[in-house]
Amino acid sequence: MSSIDNTLPERQTSAGVEHTESLITLTPRQLLHRRAFSHWGLIIGTLTVIALVLLAVVGPLVLPFDAYAQELAGRLQPPVWAGGDWAHPLGTDHLGRDYLARLLIGARISLTVGFFAATLGCIIGVTLGVCAGYFGGRIDQAVSYLLTCQLALPQILLAMALVFLIGPSIYVVIGVIGVLQWSYFLVVTRSAVMRIRELDYIASAKTIGSSTRSIFWHEVLPNLRSQIIVIFTIEMGVAILSEAALSFLGVGIQSPTPSWGLMISEGRQSMFFNPWLTILPGIALFLLVMGVNLMGDGMRDVLTPEGRH
Amino acid sequence: MMFCPLKRWTPASAGALALGLTMLLGLAGCTDDGSQDDILDVAFQSQVSNLDRTFTTKREYIILSQLIDDFLFDVDPETLKYEPLLAKSYEFINDTTLDVTLRDGVKFHDGSTLSVKDVLYTYNFVLDPDNGARANRNVSDWLESVEQIGPMTVRFHLSYPYPLALRDMAVTVPIRKAGSYTVDGELDKSALVTRENGLGPYEVVHFLPGREVMLKRFEDYYDGSPKGKPAIRQIRIHTISDWGSAQAGILAGELDWLYNVPGDIARNLDASGYAKRLVGPSMRIGFLQLDAAGLTGENAPLTDLRVRRAVNHAINRQSIVENLVGAGASLIATSCNPVQFGCETDVQRYPYDPRKARELLTEAGYPDGFPLTLWAYRDPYVAEAMAQDLRDVGIDVSLRYVPLPVLNKARSAGEIPAYFGTWGAGGTADVAATLSVMWNMNTDRNLAQDPLIAKLVASAERTQVKETRRQLYSRALKRIADQAYWAPLYVFPQNYVVNKRLGFPVPSDGLPRLYLTHWRSDGDSTSGDRASGGTVGNKGGN
Amino acid sequence: MLRFAIRRLLLALAVGFTVSLAAFLALQLATDPAQAIAGEDAEPAVVEQIRIEYGLDRPLVTQYVDWIGNVVQGNFGESFYWHQSVADLILQAAPTTLKLATFSILVTILVAIPLGALAAMRPNSWVDRLALSVSVSAQAIPNFWLGLVVIVIFSVHLGWFPVAGDRTLAHFVLPAFVLGMTSVPAVMRLTRAGLLEAFEADYIRTARAKGFRGYPLLKKQALRNAMLPVISVLAVQLGNKLGGAIITEAVFSMRGLGRLAVDSIQGGDIPTVQMLVFVFAMTFVLLTFIADLINAWIDPRLRLR
Repeated sequence: MSSIDNTLPERQTSAGVEHTESLITLTPRQLLHRRAFSHWGLIIGTLTVIALVLLAVVGPLVLPFDAYAQELAGRLQPPVWAGGDWAHPLGTDHLGRDYLARLLIGARISLTVGFFAATLGCIIGVTLGVCAGYFGGRIDQAVSYLLTCQLALPQILLAMALVFLIGPSIYVVIGVIGVLQWSYFLVVTRSAVMRIRELDYIASAKTIGSSTRSIFWHEVLPNLRSQIIVIFTIEMGVAILSEAALSFLGVGIQSPTPSWGLMISEGRQSMFFNPWLTILPGIALFLLVMGVNLMGDGMRDVLTPEGRH
Repeated sequence: MMFCPLKRWTPASAGALALGLTMLLGLAGCTDDGSQDDILDVAFQSQVSNLDRTFTTKREYIILSQLIDDFLFDVDPETLKYEPLLAKSYEFINDTTLDVTLRDGVKFHDGSTLSVKDVLYTYNFVLDPDNGARANRNVSDWLESVEQIGPMTVRFHLSYPYPLALRDMAVTVPIRKAGSYTVDGELDKSALVTRENGLGPYEVVHFLPGREVMLKRFEDYYDGSPKGKPAIRQIRIHTISDWGSAQAGILAGELDWLYNVPGDIARNLDASGYAKRLVGPSMRIGFLQLDAAGLTGENAPLTDLRVRRAVNHAINRQSIVENLVGAGASLIATSCNPVQFGCETDVQRYPYDPRKARELLTEAGYPDGFPLTLWAYRDPYVAEAMAQDLRDVGIDVSLRYVPLPVLNKARSAGEIPAYFGTWGAGGTADVAATLSVMWNMNTDRNLAQDPLIAKLVASAERTQVKETRRQLYSRALKRIADQAYWAPLYVFPQNYVVNKRLGFPVPSDGLPRLYLTHWRSDGDSTSGDRASGGTVGNKGGN
Repeated sequence: MLRFAIRRLLLALAVGFTVSLAAFLALQLATDPAQAIAGEDAEPAVVEQIRIEYGLDRPLVTQYVDWIGNVVQGNFGESFYWHQSVADLILQAAPTTLKLATFSILVTILVAIPLGALAAMRPNSWVDRLALSVSVSAQAIPNFWLGLVVIVIFSVHLGWFPVAGDRTLAHFVLPAFVLGMTSVPAVMRLTRAGLLEAFEADYIRTARAKGFRGYPLLKKQALRNAMLPVISVLAVQLGNKLGGAIITEAVFSMRGLGRLAVDSIQGGDIPTVQMLVFVFAMTFVLLTFIADLINAWIDPRLRLR
């Protein structure tokens, strides 16, 4: 399905003008809408993400379950379909906390970390990419050295050392993931900026005396917008998985805050006897990341049809 | 011999895929369960990085050392009495002179015969402070010198009448072959780290550091050893550091013996019918240490007695022990193990009472609680449960669960306001082994820095009169409880999970002797064993 | 060409030292190695003794500079946690990780390339959609979770594969599958895109016009041209696998380089961590170098840079 729309570049829409008046007057925005609403991946992905966001935001407010209340005597109760009762629809964890409530709060954590880590990565990557692409030369070399170092350093090892050093918190997790996940932003921004730099209008902006800063803000960045949005979405999916992996290894989000990765790791101890503890957060994670990825892929098809493959 | 213990669940689709893979690679997946090939598969949680007991005090090495080393004396796992092992006989000539006569015909794993020369070499090596043997600090304290006085007799000259000399000789100094630490004419302390030439009932076949130790029965092990000739041909020690894999190993029949198993897991595995849970005693206690001295800040909340008492009242130890730690654990009110000599149990108690805890906090000026970082390095479930108990009375706890060295680093930097500590007292049944370490004024373990307690403990160590010692310790322990310097929690149980066909005598001191294991035909792990010291087989738990 | 290679080697060394410095500093600040050596119930005097014995009381700068000096002379140092030379430790653990990485790359190749090729031959058919679904799913499944699920199904319930460890080849089947799946999306998409592009190329059109259709065509012409970028991506993926092995090894209790790294960090064993980070970084840079070489071979213009 990904190749359906790419035979429909923007300028060609006026080709079949004769029949309907309305086609001629399609603005780029309307065109975008049309492409978006015929892209199934994008639709499914977006709906999944919206549903999960709603659950994460509204769920804990509406449902009468507490994600933190500990009841040791009532620990490891099974979900309703496995003989549990409605007091805890998805059962309880190793400390007797309601699993449904923890899953919902876990969604907030995943979304928060995913969003802010991708934002941090975006800021770092785009800044470095713009600098490298615009100035070239020494600065470009320095940035590319930095990139190589970053790619060469195993993320988990650094995260472990940092978490032992600073202590675990959601900020450290966001920081670690964000600081180690900007290569994609950098590479794309750098080459885009290099291309744009050569274009006439920058040259003309320079000749009429615009400051470098204003060129960045008014000429360079707007041109990158769609690409950045696409990468941002994809990186958000990656960041969500990274958070889960770090938490799984015990160096991410810490108890009592529920993170899906942490919940999988906690459930692992009784994985053979209480499998739902491991399976449920895994499925949640899968749905969210799949939704985000489908959204990202879809947006790439829709926003930047020329930039695929 | 292919024996697949678990073949009950076969979803067609997943099955087909895996079957395809299996056939594709021509691999046989299933392994047998140990009793078939006479290999005992044992899992340790932390890595064995070193075979030489001389340089370490870690638990795993001591268990291993029981297998590959012999000592002059041995601790009987049932009675905990010290009996001659490599020694044939011994005699105290006077308070400070001990003569030890060696057995004849004892062989090292390399085939050479034990002689007085080897014993002299071993003890002189340990006595030399330059060699840095971990036992050195203890032994050089009471042992002055060793000399040969007969063809098979060694004389030990003690510095002063030391009642635990036989214990130290039974626990800390494995006998080495003369010249073991000399390689090409030079001292090499790591000479035995990966290759050991011991005297024990098992010899090392191969050693992959951090990964696997393979032992085989030493066929020339001497007759008449109190340890007995081992029954099982080979022992393979794996390192499996997470309980998920360890459980899977038991369920799939790949592992035969686990120890230190969390209560939960032990219970589950026992109930599954694939293995048996055995519970024995241990010397280890758990406790919360509180920064009463204000090491983390002059006016840190825990410097206030009422706050420390509130912490004591806030923790629901009963529920934690019942639900999380499980059978074999017992609550303590004192900062020591009640089986230790001098462990006063008649002290101020703080029953679980969250309301009282809140009142005390309010009284102390913290009606809305205060932020507190609680550190922990083991038993995460227990740490989490305690953290939540404290949150429930209003203290804003954040839990920092870290590896031990990280915790110790922070503690020595004075950054720890409270931590979940444990102490095994080296298996010693005397509070001296707990109090002197925890309460002297120089250790960073001492978060209370109370000079009075330090004084009481120090004077108790300078007398041999039992009653005086008991009274001094009692005063110290009562003060600790009054001041709520600690929140004492419980005595750890020692959980073992073993193959149902394995006979394993549960030791009374929590130190497993794997050379006593054997395969059984009746499927009962404990009955009729030579030493079945402790509480045995509390099946099903609670 | 030679200059290019030498420059890359120097770059690799520089990167190696930079990242190992980062690891060294982070660990020095976070843990107390002496305490890690001494163990849980160690008395302070013993810890102090160890600190002096291992030279951990020297200034950080001295420790790091000494380390660089030793590495340059080919002496990778002694691990104080494992009581062994770091070189031995790495050599003992490396086969496990290398095997795991190799097998998982094989899994990637066996799954991704046929799937990508089939998808490209019939764009928008059900095969294409299936391939896309596999790729979307594989991208979204947390691989540590997949690891646990396959252990429950194939090791415990069916008993076909061993549960944990790395003793026999059978131990590698499940981990290689799990780790291999992580690279499937990227490689499959690249294969599909490369082939689609190749089909559009002039010479293929010509071949097609000549009635040269179907499988033979695919094999002879398009595949070769489309595969070069795939191979270069595989080289980079192999580098990622060495890092990704950390999680897989943790899930399957395998004792390769990843596990060694995690244990050494936990045990505060700075010499080992430093060296491992150095080795990881070097490997990564060299594999990218190989990828670049392949790219340069495809596109001679790149050689000028």
